[in-house]
Parts: sequence; structure tokens; C-alpha cells
Amino acid sequence: MGEVDTQPAPLTPFHLRPAGMDIVLKPLHRWVWSDAHRCAHKLLRFAETEADGGRDIARAAELTGDGLLRRLYLRHAMDELRHAEMFRTRGRSMLAALPRQSASAEANWLAPGERGLDDLHVDGEKDDTLLAFLHLSERAAAMRFAVYREVLTKDKETREVFESILRDEAFHMNYTRKQLERVSPRRHGLRLWTARLHRMWKVYLRFAAAFASVMGAVILTVQYFVILPVFAWAAKRAGRREPRGWADTAGKAHTLGTQY
Amino acid sequence: MAGMKILGISAHYHDSAAALLVDGMPVAAVQEERLSRHKNDAAFPVAAIEYCLDRAGLEAEELDAVVFYEKPMLKFERILTMALREWPRTFSSFPQAMKNTLGEKLWVKGLIKSWLGIPARKILFAEHHRSHAAAAFLTAPTKEAAILTADGVGEWATLSVGRGKRTPEETTVDLLREIRFPHSLGMLYSTFTAFLGFQVNEGEYKVMGLAAFGTPRYADDVRKVITRTEDGAFQLVMRFFEYQTTAKRSYSKHFVELFGAPRAPWEPLDPTSDEGRRFADIASSVQHVLEEILVDMCTRLHDESKLPDLCLGGGVALNGVCNARILRECGFERVFVPPSPGDAGCALGAALLADRVHFGNPDRDFPDHAYWGPDIDPVELGRIAGEDGLSHVEVATDAELFDRLARELHAGKIVGWMDGRTEFGPRALGSRSILSAPHTAEQRDRLNKSIKFREEFRPFAPAVPTEHASTYFDLPPGGHRLARFMSGVFPVREEHRANLGAVTHVDGTARLQTVDKEGSPRFHALLEAYGRVSGVPVILNTSFNLAGEPIVNRAVEGYSTFRRCGIDLLVAGRTIVTKERAGERAAENESKEAAE
Repeated sequence: MGEVDTQPAPLTPFHLRPAGMDIVLKPLHRWVWSDAHRCAHKLLRFAETEADGGRDIARAAELTGDGLLRRLYLRHAMDELRHAEMFRTRGRSMLAALPRQSASAEANWLAPGERGLDDLHVDGEKDDTLLAFLHLSERAAAMRFAVYREVLTKDKETREVFESILRDEAFHMNYTRKQLERVSPRRHGLRLWTARLHRMWKVYLRFAAAFASVMGAVILTVQYFVILPVFAWAAKRAGRREPRGWADTAGKAHTLGTQY
Repeated sequence: MAGMKILGISAHYHDSAAALLVDGMPVAAVQEERLSRHKNDAAFPVAAIEYCLDRAGLEAEELDAVVFYEKPMLKFERILTMALREWPRTFSSFPQAMKNTLGEKLWVKGLIKSWLGIPARKILFAEHHRSHAAAAFLTAPTKEAAILTADGVGEWATLSVGRGKRTPEETTVDLLREIRFPHSLGMLYSTFTAFLGFQVNEGEYKVMGLAAFGTPRYADDVRKVITRTEDGAFQLVMRFFEYQTTAKRSYSKHFVELFGAPRAPWEPLDPTSDEGRRFADIASSVQHVLEEILVDMCTRLHDESKLPDLCLGGGVALNGVCNARILRECGFERVFVPPSPGDAGCALGAALLADRVHFGNPDRDFPDHAYWGPDIDPVELGRIAGEDGLSHVEVATDAELFDRLARELHAGKIVGWMDGRTEFGPRALGSRSILSAPHTAEQRDRLNKSIKFREEFRPFAPAVPTEHASTYFDLPPGGHRLARFMSGVFPVREEHRANLGAVTHVDGTARLQTVDKEGSPRFHALLEAYGRVSGVPVILNTSFNLAGEPIVNRAVEGYSTFRRCGIDLLVAGRTIVTKERAGERAAENESKEAAE
């Protein structure tokens, strides 16, 4: 990526400040990150999220018709890949130093990682819409990572990982903002507000879908225990009568006209 | 009926695809993932269908039939029946299974109608394993063959055997008997894949690669979880498995008691460590037992059918080690595995089944290659490279191109190679490939670390002109054919192993691709040119993608991959791009402009 300045933009206090809600929730974040197993598994999940995010941004690079954006997106995608590797390496080294056990509750709703609650749909998006989305997403990630860095007072190495990544996040925030102003000089503010509303709508949809899913699961579980037992008895009985080994299918009618 | 236009579709589980036949001949076939750029995309293949229709210049309403690769209602019956049979242990998976199936998967006819706007009478449904069988038999250059298909599960069948026959009057694809869910070789292998910490439907290759590092010292334990029946079939001992009751875990606590603690996906896997050796031995054991069972079944099938040819289909047919043993030991003279034996290939199989069998259209020889996807556009590559200030040239002739690439490869450069139409199927067969010199283990390590970003124990495949294959590889009769679509793993000849270090696996084998002039003329010419430069016409050929991404399709996707990894040269048609700057055009300050 020789033509793109790979030096991250200098950090400003604004970039490093956690969001208001995160400051309020700091004790909770501290609790989440206090357990080494949980911390390690969370870092491994972050690694996956960053790698996925990198693939999405690489796709954005493939789709844009703007040469400068393509180069910046490619650099951004490589940053994400590097972040993924940093998270993975740190998570693995932490786990290697710990006694083997299953992962403790991760509380992922509290620490979703970059774009954890945002679905990035690159295909079909215009440059300005995508830049607005990315800017907000990077900003949210930077603020979230800032609070993680603050609560990781006892874990210097993990803190350094976040510090290093935060510098890149600042660059990502800056370039997405500047490029948004370039590709949409008159409407960049509108694009940002639209993106904010869109994110809120997505969050609502996500929670609504989760609620509907829970309701559906409850109704189906009730049916499972109330209606199915008789059929289950019949199915088990039929199953016991099934022969072992091969089932003969010679002579079976094979019509393509039915779904059965 | 002459001139029929038949679209085949596979979708909803993994690797969705579409394939189009016009007048009995293939026009296009492509996996959705290549176009949507989501690896193993299982969504209804809208982009793949659009591509197929565009390629043929057709509108959807001009189609005579659309064939779905399986019967959704039969599949639903199996899911419901299994939930009932395992009641009440299925209480946690039942809601998810129902929501999953009742959402979209059950209403395929309506889905096809609404997407394509065609009447319901044109929509047909083939059985899953008949689609596999048709994909294997009707694409193979044989008039009559025994057929064996094996995968995780279709509707009920997990493994089927039968025979196919093509005559000028009639084509038949008859499946004579089957083994039914939950007893499944595919599920057995996938369970071990999950146990070994790899992703199911993706990591099975890794199990096969890892197996070479181990010895089958757990084979007797594997035989405790899969037993043979008196009639030559097999049965899984279900207390070792949980996939029939939950989607969360495929193996049970009894399985863990038998084989020890599973490997966590994040744990590095070093086959030389004690723990790594245990996992390698387990991989070797399941591979050994899988081969043992399939070799026995295929031997019985040969004895019964008395036919010289065998067609293998289904995801299990991607196991090249097993395929090679079947060829060597079961009595068949030729074993055919299509380039896409998995579910994606069923799109083509279902369309062929409808054309030849359902509609009774005349038999046609299927073109013997895999290149049915979108074409490459070298102009697009040149334009993008130019915009980014990268050095790019268009060489005047193919001969000049091949000569230059051969020299670059011999000098240790790694080449991203995009040529012609994409391959249909999971393997890069010289259309979208990363190419490298095959000589040293260091080159293999470089590819693993800086380009493919994948585990060190995984081998790379060599490509070799068909006529030179036996010089470097120990091929049994029929081996050239099996290697045509990289479907067999064969020994590298002892005397060439040192000089083919990047493609020789730890057990001295390689999953080679034999390339002939008729099927892949340009790739063949490149191999020959490399042979002239290096003395060995063998090139390392691996799929052109990064970890977690589908194989590239368009030039811009190849370019994006090229920029994000250590590939040295990128080639499309006669256009060559390198990472060198073109003059002073490099826009050094672009990022500052952008960010400040």
C-alpha cells in the first residue's frame, strides 16, 4: 500500500474518550474484563469480528468506482486483518497461560467489538452512505475500545493491544469523515444523520427479532411438550421397527413432479 | 423435446449454486459464493441464476423447467421425525429447527415462482442423492457405470449405490439401495472435524491433511462408534453422537470419554507436540476407518455390477485419499469424480437428470472440463492497476507471457493467475489460482504464512501436464483420470520428492491435478513453459483466495486479494501487474489529503 500514508493520524483527546454511557457502565466493563478466561475468549471473538469486518471493507474496495477510496479501503481492510491477528495472538497467549476450562459467560452484549451490533452490507451501498456508516461505526468502536483500555489497568499487555488499535481507529475515523466530505460535500451532515437513524433502526430490528424469536421458541416449546408426545411415541415405535443397514430403493417411483 | 432450457438450483444448506442447460448442453454453472462474495453462501442463488440467464441471453419466462436439487417436504419429514424419535432430548433444538425450516426452506416452490415469475408446473424437484448421482454419472465420459454417492444427509439418504446407463434411446440413473439418517459417513467425518476444532463443512480438508501426520492407533475406537451390519452397510452407535438431537454439538460425552478432550478451535495445532500427535492420530484413525468402509462397499459394488467404471458423488467424494484407494483396491478400472461433487454440483445434476431422464431428451456427451463460470476481463485489471499507479503491462503474445511467468515462478515469485471462465466447484483448476514454484518447503511455508494465512500442516497441490504426470507421480491405471479435477491423492515418486518439497505432503503424497492441452490449453502451455525453464513441468496450484473468502471471480477481486497479501504478480489474460510503482505516479500524499 505504498501510495497511502500508513502513519496513523495523531490521536486527539476526543478520540480516546469513552462514550457517556460507557463511563456510567465502567464498573460493569471492569467486571467483564476482570476474568482472564472471559477476557481471552472475548479477544478471540474480537479477532473474528475484525477479520469479518476486514473482508467487508475489502469488498467495499472491490465495489467502489473511486480510486482513492479503493486504496483507503484496502489499507483499512489490512488494518482490520492486523487487528484480528493482534487480538488472536493475545487471546491465545492468555489462554495458554491459564488452566484449561470451558469459557465463562462472555457477556458479549456488553463488549460486542467493532461493528458488533452493526451489520455492514456493502453490496448496493453508495460511497457516501457507506462512508457515513463506517465513520459512525469506527467512532463507536474507538469509544468502546477506549473504555476497555481504561478498565484494563492490571493487564498491561492487553491494554497495549487496545492502545495500538485505537491509533488505527483514529485514522479510520478521520479518513471516513474526510472522504465523506469529499464525495458528498453538501450532504455529508445529512448522510451522517441518516446513518445514525439507520443504526438505531437496525438496533430496534435486532431486538425486535430477538424478542420475536424468544416468543416463537416459547410457543414451539409448549407445543413440543403438549402436542408432540403422542406422535413421538408413534415415531419411536416406528423407528424401532426400521431394519438395520441398507434400505432397498430399487423400483421406487422417482417422479420429479412432487416435493415428496 | 429439442432445445429445452433447464435451470438447476441448489440452495439453503451450504454452497448454493445454479446451472443452466440449453438443448442438453451446459451453458453456465456457478456457485453463489463466487458472486455474492460470502464464503459457502447458502442463500437462494439469485446472483448465480441471473448470471446463468444472462450468459444464455434468456429471460426467466423462457425457461422450460426449473429443477430444485432435493425434495423439501421429504427433508422436513426427516427433521420432524428425528425430533419426534429423540423426544424429549430434542426440546432445545426443536424450536430452532422448526423456525429454520418453516421460514423459507419448506416453501421452495413459492420462492422459485416469486423470484423467477414462472408457473408452478415448470418447477420440478429431484431427490438429493439422485442429483448427486446424476452430477457424477451424466458428466463423466462413460456410457455405463456403477454409482456411489455419500454425504452428510440429503432428505433421508446419506449414502446410495446404484448404476447409470446411457444409450441413444434412453438414459437411466437408478439408485438401488441407501443408508439413511442418522447413520452417515459424512456426519461421522464432520463430527471428528468438529472434535478436532475445525469448522464443519469447511475443515474436512484439514482433517484429511492432518491425518497424514498420525498413525491410526485409535482405529479400534473409531470402529466402536461405527459398526458394520451383516448386509455390508454400517451403523453409527448413536450414544456417541449428539447431532441428531441438537445443532450445538455433534459428539456426546461418551465420545469425549473414548477419545479424550476435544481441541479448542483457537488452540494452535502442532502435530509434533504430544497433544498435536494425539489429534493427528485421531484424524488418521477416522480417515483409515472411512477408507476401510468405502473400499469394502465399492469392492462389493464392483463384484455386483461387474462394471469397469465407478462414479462417485456427494461431499465424501472430495476425500482424495479415499478416492485413490478405491481406484487402487476395488477392481474398477476408472473412477470418475466430478469437479463439484458436493451440493453445489447438485444444481447441475438436477438439471441433467430432468433433461435426460425426466424429459427423455437424447443423450449428449458432457464437455469434460469445469469452466462454466464468469469470464475474466483483463481490461478491468489494467484500468484499476493504472489508477493505483502500479506497474502493468500487456504482453504481445501468449508465448511471451508464459515464458515470462515461467521465469518469474522459477525465481521464486508467487503469481495470481486469472484465466478464462471460473471453475465450477471448490477447487482451483487453473482458472483462478495462486501459482508458485513447487520445489522447496520454504516456498510452502511462505505461502501458508504470508498469502493463505493458514495452518502449516496443510499441503499444497501440484499441477502437471497429463503426459508428464507418471514421471513425477506414482499413478495407478486410471490415476490420470482421477487427478483431472484434483480428486485423488497419489505418491510423489521417491526420486522427485526432494525437488517437489512444496507440494509433497509429510507422507510423501500429493493431491495432484493432471492438465491436458484440450481441457486447459493456456494452463497447459504455462506448465510446459515452466518445464522448459526449470526442468520440471510441475507448478504449485492453490486456490486464489484468502482465508475465509471465496475464490476470486472478477479481476477486481483478484486485484484486492493481490494487494492484501504477498502475491508478487497478478495476471489476467495477457495483462501482468506487479507491486512496483509506475514511474512517479505514486500518490504519496493521498492518505494525508484524505485524513487531514
